[in-house]
Amino acid sequence: MTNRKIKYRPENKAIAEVASKHGSRPESVLEVLREVQETHGGLTQELIGDVSRALRIPEERAYGIATFYTMLSLRQDPPAKTDRRSIRVCDGPVCWLKGAPLLHQLIESQLGDHWRIERNSCLGLCDRAPAALVGDQQAGPLTAEKIGQIPHGFRGAPTDYSNPLPGELRVMMAQAGKIDPDSLSSAQAHDAYRGLEKCLRSTPEATLAVVEASGLTGRGGAGFPVGRKWRFVAQANNTPKYIICNADESEPLIFKDRVLIDTNPHQILEGMVIAGYATGAHEAFIYIRGEYEHQAQRLENAIHQAEQANYLGENILGSGFSFHIHVHRGAGAYICGEETALIESLEGKRGEPRFRPPYPPTYGYLGKPTLVNNVESYAAVPSILRNGSDWYRSLSSAPTPGTKIYMILGHVCRPGLFEAPFGITLRQAIDQFGGGMLPGSNFHFALTGGAAGTIVPESLLDIPIDYASASKGVALGAGAFLVCDQSVSPVAFLRELLHFFQVESCGKCTPCRLGTFDSLEILQRLAQRQGAPGDLERLHLLSEVMKQASFCGLGQSVATPVQSALTHFAADFKGAIQTPNSSEML
Amino acid sequence: MDVKLTINNTPITATPGQTILEVARQNGITIPTLCYHKDLSPVGSCRLCVVEVEKWRGQSAACTTPISEGMVVHTESPAIIQSRRLVLELLLQNYYDAGYAMGDRPQDNEFIHWVEHYRVTAPRQAQPRFAVNSDPNPVVWVDFNKCILCTRCVRACAEVQGRFVWGVAERGHQAQIVAGAGVPMLEARCESCGACVAYCPTGALDNRMSVGLGAADRKVLTTCTYCGVGCQLDLNVKDDVPGGRVFRVTSNPNAPVNGMHLCVKGRYGYDFIHHPDRVLRPRVRRYLLQGLPRPEHDRGEWVEVDWDTALGIAAEKLRQTREQHGPDSIGVLTSAKCLNEENYLMNKFARQVIGTNSIDHCARL
Amino acid sequence: MSNSMDDVANHAQALLIIGSNTTEQHPVFGSMLRQAVLRRGAKLVVADPRRIDITEFATLHLRHQPGTDVALINGLMHIIVQNGWEDKQFIAERTEGFEDFQQVIQEYDPERVSEITGVPVDDLVKAAEILSLNKPMAVMWAMGITQHIVGVRNVMDLANLQMLLGNMGVLGGGVNPLRGQNNVQGACDMGGLPNVYPGYQAVTSAEARQKFEAAWGVPLSDQIGLTVTEMIPAAGEGKVKALYILGEDPVMSDPDTNHIRHCLETCEFIVLQELFPSETSVYADVLLPGVSFAEKSGSFTNTERRVQIVRQAIQPLGEARPDWQITAELARRILQAGPRQAQDAPYASWDYTSTAEIMQEIAALTPIYAGVSHARLEAGERLQWPVKDGRHPGTPILHVGQFSRGKGRFMPIEHVPPAELPDDEYPMLLSTGRVLYHWHGGQMTRRAQGLLAIYSESLIELNPEDAQRLGLNGNRRVRVTSRRGSIVAQAWITDRVPPGMVYANFHFPESPANELTLAALDPVAKIPEYKVCAVKVESAT
Repeated sequence: MTNRKIKYRPENKAIAEVASKHGSRPESVLEVLREVQETHGGLTQELIGDVSRALRIPEERAYGIATFYTMLSLRQDPPAKTDRRSIRVCDGPVCWLKGAPLLHQLIESQLGDHWRIERNSCLGLCDRAPAALVGDQQAGPLTAEKIGQIPHGFRGAPTDYSNPLPGELRVMMAQAGKIDPDSLSSAQAHDAYRGLEKCLRSTPEATLAVVEASGLTGRGGAGFPVGRKWRFVAQANNTPKYIICNADESEPLIFKDRVLIDTNPHQILEGMVIAGYATGAHEAFIYIRGEYEHQAQRLENAIHQAEQANYLGENILGSGFSFHIHVHRGAGAYICGEETALIESLEGKRGEPRFRPPYPPTYGYLGKPTLVNNVESYAAVPSILRNGSDWYRSLSSAPTPGTKIYMILGHVCRPGLFEAPFGITLRQAIDQFGGGMLPGSNFHFALTGGAAGTIVPESLLDIPIDYASASKGVALGAGAFLVCDQSVSPVAFLRELLHFFQVESCGKCTPCRLGTFDSLEILQRLAQRQGAPGDLERLHLLSEVMKQASFCGLGQSVATPVQSALTHFAADFKGAIQTPNSSEML
Repeated sequence: MDVKLTINNTPITATPGQTILEVARQNGITIPTLCYHKDLSPVGSCRLCVVEVEKWRGQSAACTTPISEGMVVHTESPAIIQSRRLVLELLLQNYYDAGYAMGDRPQDNEFIHWVEHYRVTAPRQAQPRFAVNSDPNPVVWVDFNKCILCTRCVRACAEVQGRFVWGVAERGHQAQIVAGAGVPMLEARCESCGACVAYCPTGALDNRMSVGLGAADRKVLTTCTYCGVGCQLDLNVKDDVPGGRVFRVTSNPNAPVNGMHLCVKGRYGYDFIHHPDRVLRPRVRRYLLQGLPRPEHDRGEWVEVDWDTALGIAAEKLRQTREQHGPDSIGVLTSAKCLNEENYLMNKFARQVIGTNSIDHCARL
Repeated sequence: MSNSMDDVANHAQALLIIGSNTTEQHPVFGSMLRQAVLRRGAKLVVADPRRIDITEFATLHLRHQPGTDVALINGLMHIIVQNGWEDKQFIAERTEGFEDFQQVIQEYDPERVSEITGVPVDDLVKAAEILSLNKPMAVMWAMGITQHIVGVRNVMDLANLQMLLGNMGVLGGGVNPLRGQNNVQGACDMGGLPNVYPGYQAVTSAEARQKFEAAWGVPLSDQIGLTVTEMIPAAGEGKVKALYILGEDPVMSDPDTNHIRHCLETCEFIVLQELFPSETSVYADVLLPGVSFAEKSGSFTNTERRVQIVRQAIQPLGEARPDWQITAELARRILQAGPRQAQDAPYASWDYTSTAEIMQEIAALTPIYAGVSHARLEAGERLQWPVKDGRHPGTPILHVGQFSRGKGRFMPIEHVPPAELPDDEYPMLLSTGRVLYHWHGGQMTRRAQGLLAIYSESLIELNPEDAQRLGLNGNRRVRVTSRRGSIVAQAWITDRVPPGMVYANFHFPESPANELTLAALDPVAKIPEYKVCAVKVESAT
């Protein structure tokens, strides 16, 4: 309305152009902001205003987004065209173990004049720790000696997973190293899209039945039966329906989706098309974390190739079934791995979780029935369709059928990733797949599952791990094991985890927003051995209320590492309380 | 198709689609809320309304959880009390009250009400995180030190006023309410309707012109004097001067046309009532008192007189005009700002007393 | 309004807002309409030369040339009939005169209408489609429709549209003029008009006149009186010798201020009943202090014909008196002095002790208010007139099943251009009105510190292209001149107005827009053409 504070500002043509490139849809605001930041060297309030006008959304919404995602940054001054590029040093717990804090300091002092050095929550490069993102390029492992070479192109090398370790059972990773991930013909020579061809010859219902019969469970961490989720979406009356692949892999310790994309992207696309066919959806999104630019491009290339070969697009292979996949990049927010927060983010909003019910299969993207599965879940689907559910169930005798991708990290000889059936023990993971503890290292504790997993003492090394073992104190989660030796204090380690949760809490609900903050404060004191009387009780109370009363899984699961650490390492925590000093006692 | 459930061991029959909170309130069970308001879409974020549902993992927000058949709900279990107290405690230790508005909202500060209800004290003193008076808006007072991030202002602006001024920026502990792209409210296209103030449960947003003036002695529900929509509002009155004075306008949720909503004029355009320019005694031109003819151009100076004099002169001059020039030599302009009853009297005055139909008002203007 | 605000907001599938800046002039209803679009996805078509705020929510904004409403509406109806979208059953059963009407709209083909209105043909077709295929559709308008020399034609043409589409007498439909002042509806209902007694009983009807003569105990005039736009000029000509003005400020609110000042100066005797000294009080001989809405009790009637209670919150300030008491006292004194005297009759006297008592008299004499009483209002009843008796629940929707005259009559209406259009000497078009933060002549809002702080001086809306052409750099003062006068004010550079048009308000005596406006009146309603006159704009540094 007419108040003279509102100044007339003509349309910004350049930004309108960027917006129209993205369809001028309000849902594309995150991508538009990223691109504007890229082309303008940063975002200002004025640019945010221009973006919101171009997309016809309120300014507060664009601003809320620009300040929510860590890869977007707001600047006061109009940015220069040639802004300094950034190096984002990972401060996840694995990199922390591998000396990232010191490395960050060194990079800052050596390169800080010409680069913008920032911290970043776990980059998903745990097998390359300590790691960093140079511009949008993944780099690691980095060492102090190599810092000087970063400006000249040093990025380290990705881990090679071409050869299975003894004892591995590879299904999803079967083609790793055998195919060129950027070539469809190479993938076709190794069974790509055979599962799709087969199911297009049968019915959606038959396809659904195979997936249900296979007993495949969601690989994101919760272990919900995939077939049942598909059934919910298939049964929903509302159309259109959407398929979403959750590739927001932002949990510390977890990098399996990245490796799956890097080794066999078509396998994932194929799983998604099959899901679309079974549920009656025709459009899909891969929501990939912004730090995985390389993988996003790889997926886009694969989608392009699959479209050319009519595995995607209109009337796939003459079946009458049409399906489209879009790659949507996140911009730095762990919470977007939570499926409803992911959907919000995909709709061009702040990545804050929605309350449930209604659940995504009835009310998801744009309020329509939506299937959200993890990358690994889709990756498991093609082989099931090719070989049948009986074959899948025969892969192991464990109660949970099929295989799982695991990650073993920390003070072991051979950190990395492997595929095996369910039910392995932590000891097996360390000795058989991790190559044993490092020389001189003794097992102290491990974090299993992911950052929101359990802290496990030596006494639990032989518990067989699956989705049910969390009740025995060992969580499977997304399948990661971070092993720490005697040099690591469980108190300081827990502080690192809380640091992560505090930074990544979206702030929507009170217990998580303020509870993670208070817990971190306490842990910072404790890690300095300056804990106050009552700190441990309060830490426990905070975790308990977060667990009971938080809005979403992020806050609820903080209690898992906190309470397991407090239980198993009570002495370490008690020792961190400052006792009244002797002079006061006198 | 009723739903049967149990709340606090009492069997209750309810309508499908209702939330636990709605059913509880209908049945006289109090569940504390902060981010919830019946006019606004539920978000379930403050977590004060958590309840226990038997066999369910974790606690559930009563405001967003739909009831289901056979549900067994406990609203005041020890674990629930523990959660609520901690939620309030966490909020309280970040709620910095500089003390300028003590007594303004004895009943309306929902947050302090629940803090006192659950006898919560902050383990540490809250520190100011923002400027106490952080936005130059002339009618809305902004003090985010009292903000608990319930987002009722954000939703009120979007869902009541439809203006989208307020939003949430940053995240986690840094999350805060902002106007537009982090600019002053007016620059963010605020229309200053004060809906955000009306829905704020803490006083973080307040009516600038009456901050610190304390509570009303009386609130009088009446109809707004500005446009034809006919909103109703509560005139807040202090009786510290003879006859009372209007010092604030607040929403009344029972207003039939507008509910809690008002516009900038209705909520903030009240202070003309006590403006020093008000004419408080009748005035007549000096020539009339002197019995002289009217000066040629300027009507001359005003003289304050008593009612009898003023009415006497007015009545006599009008009467004479009618007698000398006929009833149609007098025109009557009534007022679209005045009461029905007054307009009726003006109509009766023109037609019965004067005998003319020359009566009109500004409907055309 | 034929319908209620909540009814339109909750049930209309499509909305046509034409000549109403709803979010600024009826802000709370405006926000209800925004929510209708946001929450229910109601389709909104806004027809307004200015890009007013509500256009942000519009499916379609028709930016027609000021003063071309009839052409626009006829054009829409042409397309509707051409496509067979009209409600044939409604037309057959409830209306008459369709054939004559159809002959007229036949001439308004989209190309011709586009030429007159400046609205692209495509948009005309889209608008017609939205408005006819989403039912019910409600039309809202305000002064943008009525303040033209063709104001009455505009209104009748909108009624044509709603009859054509069968949107009368249904939930979520109707013809809905938004009344400006808080009690302009009530002032009209109460006989504050030169042609009717309370309840729209015509002064020319012998029956009505006899009824009021019997009630009031005097013989009554059968001559229609003067409207405000005639009365004041008549004062200038010496035909009207005295004025009794209650809470009005014609100097600020009437067209062609200079002429108004002259007329008031000429008028022999003026009694003004007011809150504040005003631009008009300069010309008053007796100034009687009335009170604000907070100092008296009674009722207002809102735009949807809903009678609502007004409650006294504080005692009258100083020696000020409730206006009804002042009027009654004047009446008593004049009647007492004679020679015109009231015979003994049921409602001859002026001995009221409360407004509740006055309402009893109103109810007795006004059939549409027959069932209204303060007791019912205090009890919280929702009373929208007609309220036929003490038990009647009121009438939220008019014209259900039948029009008051029986059948609805289609009126063939032709486009007539405005009285004064831009030319070489005065090349720009001026439209006037109000802004969100102020009210009418600004007597109250300029004395509300918060409102004044937000909007402290008159701003002339000027398109950036024009600003550039005039060599204005940012916010600068401009002089706006018409054939009648000239004002200086700050320019507000904005694309709310199209190039070639300026918009001014009449809230500030420093820059009174009505110095510029033209006293060209609608021949029937005598309403001035505030929405169009020709001006020139210059930099005024």
